[in-house]
Amino acid sequence: MTTASNPAPDTRLAASAASRGSGPAPAPDADGNNPEPGSGTRRGLSERNRPLWMLIPGGVLMIVVIVVPLVLGVYISFLDLDQYSLRQWLSAPFVGVANYIEAITQSGILRSVWLSVSYSALATIVTLPLGIAAAVATQNKYPGRALVRSIFLIPYVLPGFVVATVWRTMFQPSGVISITLHHMGIDPGLFLNGPNTYWVLVFVQIWSSWPFIYLLALSGLQSVDHEVHEAAALDGALWWTKLRYVIFPYLRGPISLAILIGMLNHINNFTLPFVLFGLPAPNDIEVLPYLTYATSFESFRFGLSAGMAVVSLILVAIPLFIYLRAVKLDDAETPGGRK
Amino acid sequence: MRFGKKAALASIATAAALALSACGGGTSGGNSSGGAVNGAGKTLDVFIGKSTTFPQQQQQWMDDTAATFKKNTGADLKFETFSSGNDELTKIQTSAVSGQGPDIYALGTTFTPTAVATGAFAQLSDSDWNALGGKSKFNQSALGISGPDKDHLYAVPFSSRPFVMAYNKNLLKAAGIDKPPTTWNELEQDAKKVNDPSKGIYGMSVGYKDGFSPWKYIWAFSEQQGQKLVDGKNANIANDTVTNAYQTYFGWLTKDKVVDPASVGWTDSQALANFASGKSVFFPMTSISSEVTLDKSAIKDQYDYALMPTSINGSNPNGGTPVASILSGDNMGIASYTKNKDLALAFLKQVTDKDAQINYQKLFGDLPTNQEALATFGSAPHMAGVTDAAGKSYATPFTGAWADIQLALVNVVVQSIPDLSSGNVSDSNLSQRIKTAQNSAQQSLSRAK
Repeated sequence: MTTASNPAPDTRLAASAASRGSGPAPAPDADGNNPEPGSGTRRGLSERNRPLWMLIPGGVLMIVVIVVPLVLGVYISFLDLDQYSLRQWLSAPFVGVANYIEAITQSGILRSVWLSVSYSALATIVTLPLGIAAAVATQNKYPGRALVRSIFLIPYVLPGFVVATVWRTMFQPSGVISITLHHMGIDPGLFLNGPNTYWVLVFVQIWSSWPFIYLLALSGLQSVDHEVHEAAALDGALWWTKLRYVIFPYLRGPISLAILIGMLNHINNFTLPFVLFGLPAPNDIEVLPYLTYATSFESFRFGLSAGMAVVSLILVAIPLFIYLRAVKLDDAETPGGRK
Repeated sequence: MRFGKKAALASIATAAALALSACGGGTSGGNSSGGAVNGAGKTLDVFIGKSTTFPQQQQQWMDDTAATFKKNTGADLKFETFSSGNDELTKIQTSAVSGQGPDIYALGTTFTPTAVATGAFAQLSDSDWNALGGKSKFNQSALGISGPDKDHLYAVPFSSRPFVMAYNKNLLKAAGIDKPPTTWNELEQDAKKVNDPSKGIYGMSVGYKDGFSPWKYIWAFSEQQGQKLVDGKNANIANDTVTNAYQTYFGWLTKDKVVDPASVGWTDSQALANFASGKSVFFPMTSISSEVTLDKSAIKDQYDYALMPTSINGSNPNGGTPVASILSGDNMGIASYTKNKDLALAFLKQVTDKDAQINYQKLFGDLPTNQEALATFGSAPHMAGVTDAAGKSYATPFTGAWADIQLALVNVVVQSIPDLSSGNVSDSNLSQRIKTAQNSAQQSLSRAK
């Protein structure tokens, strides 16, 4: 996370400052002083003796809740762990990267990765303009705005399980969607089996996740100062010019965060495809979480599926890494964060 | 600084204690020290599936069973419930790894081989069987899925839900047929006779999209033709018998057209709803649990259960077995880590005794595995076909790979549904999918230990 360029003591300060998130952190500067350990300048005291120990409870919890299972998961991915060796799982045969090799050569994981990434990207690309448009539409006051805003949030607050169940019912062969299309003279074929499933998954994902983009875009819009609107009006900017050159730059931060989190949510989404299509999955939507789940809990290949889980972790870590780098750069350039 | 260090230590200690106490949850209250058979002060922990159809009856049954158990042994009985097979597997996994958890698990019959493969269940010795009333008190066929063979049994049969065929007596009579079919060919012909799509009446209700049901047809067809799906360490799926089985199963929709085309989207419960509305004459591969729905339906006076067909045309070639059903229902397994084995055996004796089993049937509809208890039900309404099937049920292969094989067999149907919907599952597509099933079944069997 931190660039370990200099091993000087202030690396730790920078790290702790970064870990506090995007709050208005004072830029840690050495100020010419070199705060040696034990040296007694006042400034050094107040910064160096900050009660870092207070991080310990959180740190321990993080180790117990995140680090230990993660390390175990990675370790299990090197074991030939299945229902036969589960009982003495620590003595399950160590097979090195065999699980990874099997995952890549035999399990169809590459196809699953492609399905996951493409479906996730498609859903994100479509939700983006929807969310921004909705945010812009509810930015200015008008009668009933509160109601519209609440309605917009409905898909987001519904649990994924409910969303998937309702759509599954509607997409059934004799369900309301097929019947409606049939009356319009269109024969769409099956929605819950076969090639259409991919598009159904993308569609339902869009339906349930666009309000997230909307929320973040709205928060971005709220941070635009009144003066900026005034200045734009004085300069005679028309609505599109204003939107494009004045407002959108304000949205860049929140929107890129929304894109990132949206992508990750979609890639990790298991509930939606599982409830929509059940098990065994139609081949066309065998996304990564699905494959991992089936390998683990249908075939009981825990080692293999741990390997798959590690692969998907790496997959989601890539955009995360890029984003964190970007955020940190922003932070360093403009202390206090972008307004 | 000093304060900081102390506080740090304190917080580490607190967090560690928290973490440890969190891990410690789930121990049964059982006293770890060994003792007399008398169970005073001990608790036996039993893990069973939650009944969604009969929640009140189940609570009542638990209370009554616990009271009797207390009277018999002096020990307390604690029930824990799981709501899905997955819940249970997770529990078995964590318990097997940590060596603590419930003393007894209810295990679905087809799940039993997988559960036994984890090594979490101890083999039952002759003296164990004697302690719970002897093997002979059970319906012998019900023991078929308690272990890989007669001499290696790991689980005690507790309840039985054989698969049967529900049929509509009135529709059958109206078509001039006086008794339900006994072969697949007859079933097809009878279904055709009743079939009248213009009135919305079809021959059969079939849940093609069901996540479990399809493999049972394929297994039954194959067994009846003398073709074992699993032969030792070899999967035997890519062959003509299995291909024919799938073709017949799909053919009801694509060739014979005796099934509502909408059924490509039906699970078994939707197919049951269709049958219950009087829109078909046969609902194959159902169990006594459908009685609850049917008794509330429009056809409550018109339906009955019959044996599933046991052959294609009256004979079973190649030494095939006239199987009517898989061995279905629940077993109970004693966890190998239990410290309350005597109590566990006493519990199993109690719930598999004749009267307890008769009572259980009356509450939940599941058939007894106790031979004497079973014999009392043959004449009850709707029960003739079902008790008949209980005696003609056969075990599915007892291998830890079975879950995978089941999944592979269903997967053939899942991937064929778009073809099925368009009216034709081509031979090449089918054989490709069967080949895939064969490979994954073989892969899983090769790993079996």
